[in-house]
Amino acid sequence: MEPIKIVVSGPVGAGKSTFIRTLSETEIVDTDARSSEAIGKALTTVAMDYGTLRLDGQLLYLFGTPGQERFDFMWDVLTQGALGMVLLVRGDKPEGFPQARRQLDYLLSQQPVPYVVGVTRQDRPPVWGPEEVALYMGQPPERVVGLNATDPGSAVTPLLRLLELMLGADAPS
Amino acid sequence: MTKQDQLQQILRELKQALPELRSVVVASTDGLPIVHDSADAPRVAAMAATALGLGKRISQTTELGALEETIVRGNQGYFVVYAAGEKGVLALAAPSGANLGLIHLEAREFATRLAQVL
Ligand SMILES: Nc1nc2c(ncn2[C@@H]2O[C@H](COP(=O)(O)OP(=O)(O)O)[C@@H](O)[C@H]2O)c(=O)[nH]1
Ligand SMILES: [Mg+2]
Repeated sequence: MEPIKIVVSGPVGAGKSTFIRTLSETEIVDTDARSSEAIGKALTTVAMDYGTLRLDGQLLYLFGTPGQERFDFMWDVLTQGALGMVLLVRGDKPEGFPQARRQLDYLLSQQPVPYVVGVTRQDRPPVWGPEEVALYMGQPPERVVGLNATDPGSAVTPLLRLLELMLGADAPS
Repeated sequence: MTKQDQLQQILRELKQALPELRSVVVASTDGLPIVHDSADAPRVAAMAATALGLGKRISQTTELGALEETIVRGNQGYFVVYAAGEKGVLALAAPSGANLGLIHLEAREFATRLAQVL
């Protein structure tokens, strides 16, 4: 089986870098730099995150993007050749949902591939659940899953769902 | 002098020292413009931070030691990105005939001065 490239995107603080760090079975590549804005954390991704893992015998390459719209040129670079996409949103920060929605629309317009929306911080209630986020973002319920990006057993669920969607139907998205 | 004034002053001196430069952008390491003379500063600042961040990581992964600079060379010129301490990025655009050795020499010195102010 050919390796599958998957892009991991979403707004700042969604958990993209954490997700890749948690799941990768090989040494990750990260490019976090000191943040000069108040974004609720000290570091932010300026180029990419990269990690790999094997799932049901299938080798996956995970490419994480920066979150800020000023880095949208990296979204274009990193989505090239991607066969699937995971868009992460922070479940305890509904203010971020409209940006996540715009980002998803943009990424799919560039690269129409199967995708899953992952709602992070399910371990930190109060938090929006996947069904509520699906309704809010106008997504079919099967495309939205909840996760804790810091826990390997939980972080893997969006990828399992994505593989199901990719292998279940040949038609993209 | 405010911090911004000091940075503007350093920018002016850099352009005097290297008159062939097409543009200069000083940005934060997370890609926001600080001082510049470029109409396209927001995008250049973001790209310069990406180039520096990725350059550092490539340098580390391929065991090249500490990054000196990241260079993009097109058939009509150069775009060179230097670290200005832990917080800053200095990005220069120069035409293809430019003296890259001289640019490096001056830019590294100015990057150190910028780092002290930042
Ligand atoms: N408890 C918990 N913390 C999370 C989760 N996802 C991300 N975080 C934390 O949120 C912060 C930002 O995550 P990061 O991966 O840098 O976000 P990015 O901007 O999308 O790359 C980090 O401190 C993570 O540990 C989650 O599902 N649960
Ligand atoms: Mg990140």
